[in-house]
Amino acid sequence: MELSRRHFIEASLGTGMIGSLGACASLAPAQAESGMPAWHIGYQNAPRDGFAPAPLNLVFGKPPADLKGSLYRNGPAQFQYGEDYASHWFDGDGLVHRIAIENGTAVHQASFVGTRKRQEELAADKFLAPGFGTLGDESYSVQSSDDVNAANTSVLMVNGELLALWEAGSAFAMNAETLETTGPKTWRGDLKGMPFLAHPKTEPDGRVWNLAVGGPRVGIYRISKTGQLEDFGMVDIGRAAYIHDWTMTERHLIILVQPWINENLRPPVVAGFEWQPQHGLQMLIVDKDDFSNQRWAQAPARMFFHTGSAWEESDGTIKFDVVLYKEPVLGVGGGAAEIRGEWRGHDTFYDGLMTQVVNTTSGEAKLVETDIAGEFPQVDPRYRGKRRQLTALTSGATTARPGTIGLATHNWETGESRNFEFGDNRIVEEFLFVPKAGSQSDLDNWLVGPVLNLKAGVTEICVFDAANVSDGPVCIWQADYSWPLGFHGTWA
Amino acid sequence: MTRTSTLFAAIAASMMAAPLAAASDLTVNVEGISEAKGSIMMGLFDEATYNGDGAVTGANLTVEGNSVTAVFDGLEPGEYAVRLYHDVNDDGEMNTNPFGMPTEPFAFSNDAKGRFGPAKWDDAKFTVESDGTVHTITMN
Repeated sequence: MELSRRHFIEASLGTGMIGSLGACASLAPAQAESGMPAWHIGYQNAPRDGFAPAPLNLVFGKPPADLKGSLYRNGPAQFQYGEDYASHWFDGDGLVHRIAIENGTAVHQASFVGTRKRQEELAADKFLAPGFGTLGDESYSVQSSDDVNAANTSVLMVNGELLALWEAGSAFAMNAETLETTGPKTWRGDLKGMPFLAHPKTEPDGRVWNLAVGGPRVGIYRISKTGQLEDFGMVDIGRAAYIHDWTMTERHLIILVQPWINENLRPPVVAGFEWQPQHGLQMLIVDKDDFSNQRWAQAPARMFFHTGSAWEESDGTIKFDVVLYKEPVLGVGGGAAEIRGEWRGHDTFYDGLMTQVVNTTSGEAKLVETDIAGEFPQVDPRYRGKRRQLTALTSGATTARPGTIGLATHNWETGESRNFEFGDNRIVEEFLFVPKAGSQSDLDNWLVGPVLNLKAGVTEICVFDAANVSDGPVCIWQADYSWPLGFHGTWA
Repeated sequence: MTRTSTLFAAIAASMMAAPLAAASDLTVNVEGISEAKGSIMMGLFDEATYNGDGAVTGANLTVEGNSVTAVFDGLEPGEYAVRLYHDVNDDGEMNTNPFGMPTEPFAFSNDAKGRFGPAKWDDAKFTVESDGTVHTITMN
């Protein structure tokens, strides 16, 4: 961290400047509701029609001339109807954002995904559907997984089609320009309504792999770069483990079977989790060319949400990075309290540590921990499944509020970590790798992501140089308003 | 973020039994059929049979447009419910995805809908009067 740099940014982006930008009334900088802490703007409803395209203001630095494309992101954005709060952060309706960047300018727009849940709850002006942390209203019929689909977790772009992702139902197709919802995506007739996990993996050549998780049975999708389903198969992972993410090398899929088990199929799902550390963290390694060709590996018991990426050494050793927790963090109620503006403090015991898992062919995996506490690990998409150097992740925590305070990188070849801390006044979200023009290495990347400025009450888009994050942002664009904290995104 | 798919297997299982039969009093119109092919496989149940495998009677109706009509003769007046599915590919089964969720359209009388399973009897039941009854189901 370079304090002087951070303080300079802080000083140049004070609230006085924001007041002069002339935001229209409906999109004025969010103010925490009476009695609510400043950070609660990250958990407040977005406008019901989303956000019409609006330019962001360049408030710091010089945008890279070669940075051109769109940052698409998804996250829950409906937390309250009247006096009623959502039961869990994960159950908020998905709001899909597009931040289009070109010639040094950035334009933000966002639309809610038009799910049945969204449409009926909006019409009724109340929460109806059951979900991850929600029992739901008895009057709300549920005849398919998509009846409860919140479409709020991530996005995927395949062959120009934008998909809003959830983990227990279909992907929802959207128009990548207008963000209008087309409807649930059916990859093949016999797979209608199958879950499509929110962490698909795209090979450098454009082929997409993903999982369908339903208890101990897991489906595997292989999708061509033109968006056609090439193959689908089922594998048995032995237990109804919670699977939010997974990883892959060029030749293998690695399905992490963590000992966080949920046999309970009834909502609220969060109530059915059981920590069973005696099983350890198991990994099913599946041959991409023959799903029946499998082997298992075993590591000490850990819980995880997100992997970085994996590669394979010449001797068959598989290495991947993942943020690992000693015990499940949701078990302490995370995600339900924050919506109500409640913060129960930060306990380092529940920090996730950036860790490299080393799987030799013996089947006994070794955990190599770094000292970086963080989340949302990301890698250069050109190196997915391949040997590479960098992982970037949000990092650090504060006792003052939820959310991370900084951005870190770790170089797996040199062992060097770098980070930049924004401090208590900004919540840092997932940053994505965007290769620089002419880039020949995963060190030659921009990192692009949102930061919620609590002091000014607005959302910012920041760009870092991936090789030098400790130098601070290269540039910052600032919206005239804030939008709720999100989960994951993609660059296209 | 729920994992509920296997619950929908119960819906599929409930749709499998739709035996052939015939006779008077009740006309069931099925509208809003999305694909003009295959068959509507319809079962008519009373309270005693609704949650079991057997139906009072049933009909297999060839789909050539967006609606079909079934006529059941000689029923005892009283309460009945219809369960049906659209066998789009005419393979005689209600197809499901690998997690047991139906992939072919289905419906219940009163356009009733279930919650993690088939519609409840109380929601799907209707009365067949002694002088005849017409009941319409709309697929969606």
